[in-house]
Amino acid sequence: MKYMSSAGDYRVEQPGRLIVRAARISHGLRWPFIGALSATVTATLVRLLGPLVVRGGIDEGITLGDKSAILAAAGIYVGLLVVQYFATALSQWSVSYVGERYLVQLRSRVFSRMLRLDMGFFSRSKSGVLVSRMTADIESLQEFASDGAVMALSNLLTVVGVAVAMGLVDLTMALAVFGIVTVLLVVSVIFQRQARKAYDRVREQIGRVLATLQEGITGVRVVQAFTQEGSQASTFGRINEQHFDANMAAARAISWYFPVVAFLRVVAVVSALAIGTSRVIDGTMTIGTLVAFLLYLDWFFQPIINLSNVYNLLQSALAALAKLFGLMDEKVEVDERPGAYDLAEPVRGEVGFTSVEFSYDSDVAVLHDIDIAVAQGERVAIVGETGSGKSTLAKLAMRFYDPSSGRVTIDGVDLKDLTHRSRLEAMALIPQDGFLFSGTLRENLAYAKPGASDDELWEVLSVMGIAQWVRSLPDQLDTEVRERGSRFSAGERQLVALARAFLADPSIIVLDEATSNLDPETEEKVETALATLLAGRTSIVIAHRLRSAERADRVILIDSGAIEADGTHDELIAGSRRYAELVEVWQRGLA
Amino acid sequence: MATIITIPYMVGIVIDRAVDPSNPSIVWTVLGGMVLAGSIQAVGISLRRYFGFKLSYRAEADVRNRIFAHIQRMAFSFHDVTSTGELMARASSDLSQLRLILAMLPITLANIVMFLVVSLVLVVIDPVLGLVASLMVPALLFASARFANRVVGYSFDLQQRLSELSHVVEETVSGIEVVKSYGQEAQQQGKLDHKAEIIYDSAMGMAKERAIHRPLFEIIPALGTVAVLAVGGIRVVDGAVTIGEFVAFTQYLAVMVLPLMITGWFFANLPRSAAAASRIDRLLETAPEIRDPRRPVDLKPGPGEIKMENVSFTYPDGTEVLNGVSLTIPGGTSVGIVGGTGAGKSTLAHLIPRFYDVSDGAILIDGVDVRDVRLDQLRSEVSVVFQETFLFSSTIADNIRVGDPMASDEQVRAAARLARAHDFICAMPEGYDTVVGERGATLSGGQRQRVSLARGVVRDPRVLVLDDATSSVDAVVEAEIQEALRQVMSGRTTVIVAHRTSTLAIVDNVAFIEGGELVAFGPHESLLRDVPRYGEVLAATEEGAGL
Repeated sequence: MKYMSSAGDYRVEQPGRLIVRAARISHGLRWPFIGALSATVTATLVRLLGPLVVRGGIDEGITLGDKSAILAAAGIYVGLLVVQYFATALSQWSVSYVGERYLVQLRSRVFSRMLRLDMGFFSRSKSGVLVSRMTADIESLQEFASDGAVMALSNLLTVVGVAVAMGLVDLTMALAVFGIVTVLLVVSVIFQRQARKAYDRVREQIGRVLATLQEGITGVRVVQAFTQEGSQASTFGRINEQHFDANMAAARAISWYFPVVAFLRVVAVVSALAIGTSRVIDGTMTIGTLVAFLLYLDWFFQPIINLSNVYNLLQSALAALAKLFGLMDEKVEVDERPGAYDLAEPVRGEVGFTSVEFSYDSDVAVLHDIDIAVAQGERVAIVGETGSGKSTLAKLAMRFYDPSSGRVTIDGVDLKDLTHRSRLEAMALIPQDGFLFSGTLRENLAYAKPGASDDELWEVLSVMGIAQWVRSLPDQLDTEVRERGSRFSAGERQLVALARAFLADPSIIVLDEATSNLDPETEEKVETALATLLAGRTSIVIAHRLRSAERADRVILIDSGAIEADGTHDELIAGSRRYAELVEVWQRGLA
Repeated sequence: MATIITIPYMVGIVIDRAVDPSNPSIVWTVLGGMVLAGSIQAVGISLRRYFGFKLSYRAEADVRNRIFAHIQRMAFSFHDVTSTGELMARASSDLSQLRLILAMLPITLANIVMFLVVSLVLVVIDPVLGLVASLMVPALLFASARFANRVVGYSFDLQQRLSELSHVVEETVSGIEVVKSYGQEAQQQGKLDHKAEIIYDSAMGMAKERAIHRPLFEIIPALGTVAVLAVGGIRVVDGAVTIGEFVAFTQYLAVMVLPLMITGWFFANLPRSAAAASRIDRLLETAPEIRDPRRPVDLKPGPGEIKMENVSFTYPDGTEVLNGVSLTIPGGTSVGIVGGTGAGKSTLAHLIPRFYDVSDGAILIDGVDVRDVRLDQLRSEVSVVFQETFLFSSTIADNIRVGDPMASDEQVRAAARLARAHDFICAMPEGYDTVVGERGATLSGGQRQRVSLARGVVRDPRVLVLDDATSSVDAVVEAEIQEALRQVMSGRTTVIVAHRTSTLAIVDNVAFIEGGELVAFGPHESLLRDVPRYGEVLAATEEGAGL
């Protein structure tokens, strides 16, 4: 399938490839990374020296009864600890620095890549999935970057370092301990598998709990209207119980693993002591060496447990990377071709469709045999039933998609030959619901022209007839529109969207008419503003109402993806039975 | 716990035998004892963990059920002023915070006893060395509590900023048409990069705290070892303690590190958990405003006459919505409520099934005050179809069955036919089993409306309260909805909050409300003829409807 995502190219099973690619897209982090690595190695090495100092203190001081040697050893150890503190702090900080800096770069890159993708991509991807790429997936990387990376690096170095140190101190004892550690590793792998499965289930179940909870809250009025409080609560109780079961499965895993680890630690100490004491009795080992060995042993188990925890974080991080790379590898279907050029100024604003065919998926044609020529300054209404393909027509005009065959042109130039900038300057789309971004009114008005002066904005507002309304707002241009413009009514959002388009001053307007009924006063304002905006511009209006069709210079009726009729409103009423039917339905709706 | 204390001691004994091998056989006995102690300890840890978890998860699940059930019972007036996010937080983050503390409670209590006993044992073995080694306890507790405290602040910040970033992404994705049609990708990118930078600041603030505190968790125990080495070493040389006791001290230090860190964490989180607990408590303590009457009156079968006597309604914030409305809707007839925005149309309708209680006056159905009827009986006789159609993430059949869980398949289909929804439902790939709602198939506005109409009539209520949808759909679909309305209304008392003039063509009477008062009541035509103001308001509405 053409739209198949290429996410399958990267799999968690190929951590090497993922990591190499992840490293390749970083920028300017090589030296910080080397610095972080050095700090971590230093901290680990210094830490490993501690038990050796204790050994010296015991063998040179305590055993020989030399108090000054004891104090000297203690002094050296304190000195080492000071170094160790700073090296560890530096390692913690610098690994985080590299990780967090990397995330800033990654967020920016993934987002910019996503923005470049065409509308086709956005319409066929669930918006929730896209948002979760940028949030949940990157956040699981964040978890790894902020905590996991440091843990992984320092614990890995510690385990290796301690193993080497123990081997150097006494090979026989070390081998005995390694035997026990092998058991620990096997146990950890089994635990890891069990815990991972359990936690996956917990995650899934908590998702269901939260979704049901949210549904119960947002739908509470319906629930009460039909007195379903009890059945809702028992449905929730059931899902909640499954979450409890999942939690207990995880609890069971934890409840056997950690005690086993604790027991193995005791066994390790016992083996070390068994071998160690007989060697001390033989005189082949000093008591200091035995103590040093026991100290090392303490540092051996915790890092292995830590590593097995980090392993989970690493797995999620790799899975997230694989998904992110999948997104970044998504092909841009509508791209600016090399050698694209600008429209000749001044732009006239003629729009042409020549033998246009279009299908979202290769099998079903949404539009076919579309030939339309919209003259400069003409107002064309596109009408038709839901699903007739009229909105698709608007999207092709905006080049949200390219036609499967045929050409869409502005001033006779194929959209594919134009630079994005030139095309976008020539036209503006006004979608149905007057979309506003959270921020101030000023930011929303000047969206298409960031940096427009206040004078400019006020002029547009007064030309559009809404300056008085804006003046009546508490903070005027600085009024926060709140999330998706929720502060304003649907009509007010429309007004802002129209003013925004006016400021952009395009030659062509593509308007998807709003379907919501507005209160009369606002409706009148919208009408006036719309008239001002459309005056002297070419416009293509996806019309849902009789009045819009009546006001257009020309009406095109689309039916099942083809042009059914094309002419003035009066001509169509007279000449097209289907149009007459549609008009009748409209009128009935008004009666 | 006792075993945790004995093992380091046994290590000491073994070491002493190694130095002075006068009785080597005891070594093996002690080593065997250690393995035994180790196994007992393992079983102990296992049980403690398991039951600790079980207790806390059980408590969490139970409280979450209670919260949910409680939320379901709270009246509309509560939900009008309480955000979804706030309620979600009570049942998720607040509850988890509480659960963590609960899970740690038995472990922490055991740990505290252990610190006391270990300190005592150390002091008994050697007072000087014991005091020196015990110094580690407060130091480590302090460091880990301070760390947990600081980090929580940053992680709050970080969560906040992450959600701001996700807001930018959501907005960009849902507004992508606007972004692309004005070519403002760079502007969105700028917003995102800014959020990414402030996330970075927060994350690095946290990294700084980690860099400062984490090394302490190694350094403090190591300093304990140094102290034991210096003081203990000298005491060994002086003959005050044996070398084995000296080694036992180092082992004691090692086993206390992790419990100390956990205990510090516990105390740092205690105030936050207490706050979370009191928030949950406050929610559960708030009683629902609309409750069953103490001595309920049975609502006997009847025609469904609705009588409003001098009804007034004022919102808790003091906004007066209705003022002395009196009207009688004869059983089996339909009435359209007309009035400008904010005239109190919906409020009036919502008083009938007691979503709110009247501030003054009374509403009677077939002669019985609605406040005297058990809520479940009242609401099973009065069905409401809301303006905002809400569908649950479930099948279409289940969504219709919300109106009557006992409805047979045939009854569900009949309701759907009545609401003119049967045909489009059958045209869907899985028919009545098609999953809809947030995670299911998307229905158009008109289809959703008809499904909720079917839900409203499936149990054949005496009274139907309908809130007309404001957003008009396709003209064709609108005509179909009109037809559906006509059908569901027949044979029952129907109250329609009319936002469209077209609806008025199908009702028997119109109640015209302005300024919270009933201005006129009667058939549409006669109101048009006799009440000039009615004509004006309608004209304005019609103007609006017909752009």
